[in-house]
Amino acid sequence: MAELTARQRAAQRSPLEWVVDRVWRFFCSVRAAIYEIAILAVMVLAGTLRGSSVPEKIAEWFPFTRSIVDRWYDWDVFHSLPFTFMLALLSVAIAICTINRAPAIWRTIRFPTVTTTRGFLNGAEHSAEITHSVPASELSGAIQAALRQRRYRVLTATQGDEIHIYADQNRYAKLGTFPFHLALILILIGGIVGARYGFRENEFVIPEGATREVGHGTGLSVKLERFVDSWREDGTPQDYRSDLVIYENGKEVKRGTTRVNHPLTHGSLTFYQTSFGQAIALRIKDAEGRVVFDDAIPVGLYTSRTNPDAPAGLQQLPHVGKQINLITPAPTSALPEAGTIDLQSGEIFVQVRSLGPNADSSQMPPTAILRQGDIVELDGLQIEFIREKRFTLLQVASNPGMPIFWTAAIMMVGGLAITLYFPHRRIRGIVTALPDGTSSVKLAPLAKRDWSGQRNFFRVVGDLEAKLGVRAFVRGRPEHLEQAARA
Amino acid sequence: MEGLVKLSFYSFTAASIALGAALVCYVVYAAGRIRLRQASLATSTGTTMTTTTAEFAPGPAAAGRFGTLLAWFALVFQGLAVLLRTIAAGRGPYSNMYEFSLAFIFAVLLVYLVFERLYEIKQLGPIVLAVAFGMSLYVWSLPTRMREVEGLNPALQNQPLMTVHVSTAILAYATFAVAFAAAVLYLIASRRQTRWLPSPDMLDDIGYRAVTIGFPMLALVLILGSIWAHQAWGSYWSWDPKETSALFTWLIYGIYLHTRSLRGWRGTRSAVILLIGFAAVIFTYYGNYFFGGMHAYGGVD
Ligand code: HEM
Repeated sequence: MAELTARQRAAQRSPLEWVVDRVWRFFCSVRAAIYEIAILAVMVLAGTLRGSSVPEKIAEWFPFTRSIVDRWYDWDVFHSLPFTFMLALLSVAIAICTINRAPAIWRTIRFPTVTTTRGFLNGAEHSAEITHSVPASELSGAIQAALRQRRYRVLTATQGDEIHIYADQNRYAKLGTFPFHLALILILIGGIVGARYGFRENEFVIPEGATREVGHGTGLSVKLERFVDSWREDGTPQDYRSDLVIYENGKEVKRGTTRVNHPLTHGSLTFYQTSFGQAIALRIKDAEGRVVFDDAIPVGLYTSRTNPDAPAGLQQLPHVGKQINLITPAPTSALPEAGTIDLQSGEIFVQVRSLGPNADSSQMPPTAILRQGDIVELDGLQIEFIREKRFTLLQVASNPGMPIFWTAAIMMVGGLAITLYFPHRRIRGIVTALPDGTSSVKLAPLAKRDWSGQRNFFRVVGDLEAKLGVRAFVRGRPEHLEQAARA
Repeated sequence: MEGLVKLSFYSFTAASIALGAALVCYVVYAAGRIRLRQASLATSTGTTMTTTTAEFAPGPAAAGRFGTLLAWFALVFQGLAVLLRTIAAGRGPYSNMYEFSLAFIFAVLLVYLVFERLYEIKQLGPIVLAVAFGMSLYVWSLPTRMREVEGLNPALQNQPLMTVHVSTAILAYATFAVAFAAAVLYLIASRRQTRWLPSPDMLDDIGYRAVTIGFPMLALVLILGSIWAHQAWGSYWSWDPKETSALFTWLIYGIYLHTRSLRGWRGTRSAVILLIGFAAVIFTYYGNYFFGGMHAYGGVD
């Protein structure tokens, strides 16, 4: 088997192996990765422009694009299958590419090849050659010292009358690309975890003094102790905040404040201040005098059909089969009341509807108008208007993806900084002992892609020239460094 | 406080004048070098070439020095304008396009002057300063009511996070403006043998350097923006157009870095990506004009 050529080996592979190999190579291909990123970028642009008037303008200028533009507006790019597919493809590519490259990168870091060839040195785009009157070992020593001074690690190997030199810098920084790219995947995973295992309650209402259960299996409930708002002179809002107490299975576990932009967190739960409004505190007793409701009903989240300007609210009381509807007076700034119910400031309108299949909808439900402190008997319920209160409207979200996101963010910025600011620089060279007891050296950087690496190389050469008092024979030295060397 | 706001505005006025004058000087400097280049061509038909240092004839060299000096003046006054505004408002100057642009002009000048010092070349000046001056003219065209300090809507009040987020964005954009100028000059320098431009290699390197600074910064902007969104709106990414256009910009520069380090791209192809990238930056910056969405707070009607 060992004598088989590569072609024979390829011919012996099963079709499955061939396919796996092809797929693997596709995912490892950096050319493909660039196309993938480009396609993703185009999709992101399409999705971005969709939120603007740009496509519309295009259709106005080029009427034949009209049908495409219309479809463009209809296409929710960021939640579409092709977009998700591209994200998945990139993630897989990053993962496979990482696995594929890791061993080779590790080898270059830990076990670099020290020896090099004349061919490499002579073919290098940038190089420097120095001949000096000292023996090879002394020249080699001077070169090593110059390299170390510029923070290179230097390794040498002797081959006959040649000393091979390998020097590198920032070798471990090569690893920075891994945390960076893995962070890209992690951010997507964080998003998926958040969407899959988190929840979000956009209208979590608590009247002052009341307690609400969070639900979703958290065993938590939240009490609003106080709501405070402040306004600027010009009437614009300055700040709102809610003082909350969180209970876990009835026991107080946390006390804190949530305000706009400063949410309160507890574990993976976050409480955001969204809005606030008025609530009407009622105490309702049934015919036997048992209290069936003693809480506040927020108004303003609904409006009634009859009085569209007036804040309305409703509360179901399933255990007595009733629903309470409330309407409060429209704010004075609003239009004159258009509806049928005329309320004065301080009054509320109450209606009791029966719930359930046998509710009689032909009959007008009983109604009443109350002022604070009034008690009224409606449909077998005794309703007392305790007072007006305020409620806070919170958003409650649990995002277990957040720690993943944080980790990814740190890996990403850290990895990037390491990759970009600590490029792996390498210099190779051969010191040759000449027959007359003198010596010469030829050095070249492996910096085809790294202009700063080339510059750095010529700085080392400049140091050597200064130290040895000779001029190097250089190839590819940038003009300004050439001038500096001449000076 | 009224006084500080006025002072900030006067300072900005001074900066605009200095900036305009600096731009003129840089243009004279660059143009003067072109003329000299032609003069030396004429003599080269003779028997002897005049020495190469002839290109630093006193006229343009003085123009260059004045340009730099005036640009530093503009930087100081612009910085003062931003600082006074910050003190007057008691927060970072980022509540509307007026404030945001003041800071942007400052950042462009700062980044440019740092690059000018590091690379010891002034030829990027005409382009970068033209971008900054264009921004200045834009500020002058904004409705004057924006010059007054307004309180921030509670959704924008998260001072440390917002200040860092927006400052980083501004610095990143300014860095990309320098990369853009380097790319434009590269495209000129690589097409004709010129002595009035720095070597194409150096311009290519300046573009790359600028991106290595701007790219991680933009990553940070996206992350900080997400964290802010998480705190303000309860979800760290909402596919808001301002977010996605910043993401698009970031991906373009990601492609730039990949093609360079993995496919060995240099020169023209890289420069073209930088032009696209800067177009994306401009688009992101002025996105408020095109989009609704949560970031449409800029006070632009
Ligand atoms: C949106 C996706 C991606 C982004 C934004 C991104 C970004 C980057 C950046 C900024 C660099 C550093 C460039 C430099 O050193 O100058 C880099 C390097 C690299 N990327 Fe990506 N990348 C992405 C996806 C991928 C994928 C899918 C692959 C795998 C096929 C990949 C493979 C590489 C490799 C091999 C390097 C070279 C690392 C080195 O020079 O040591 N990248 N990438």
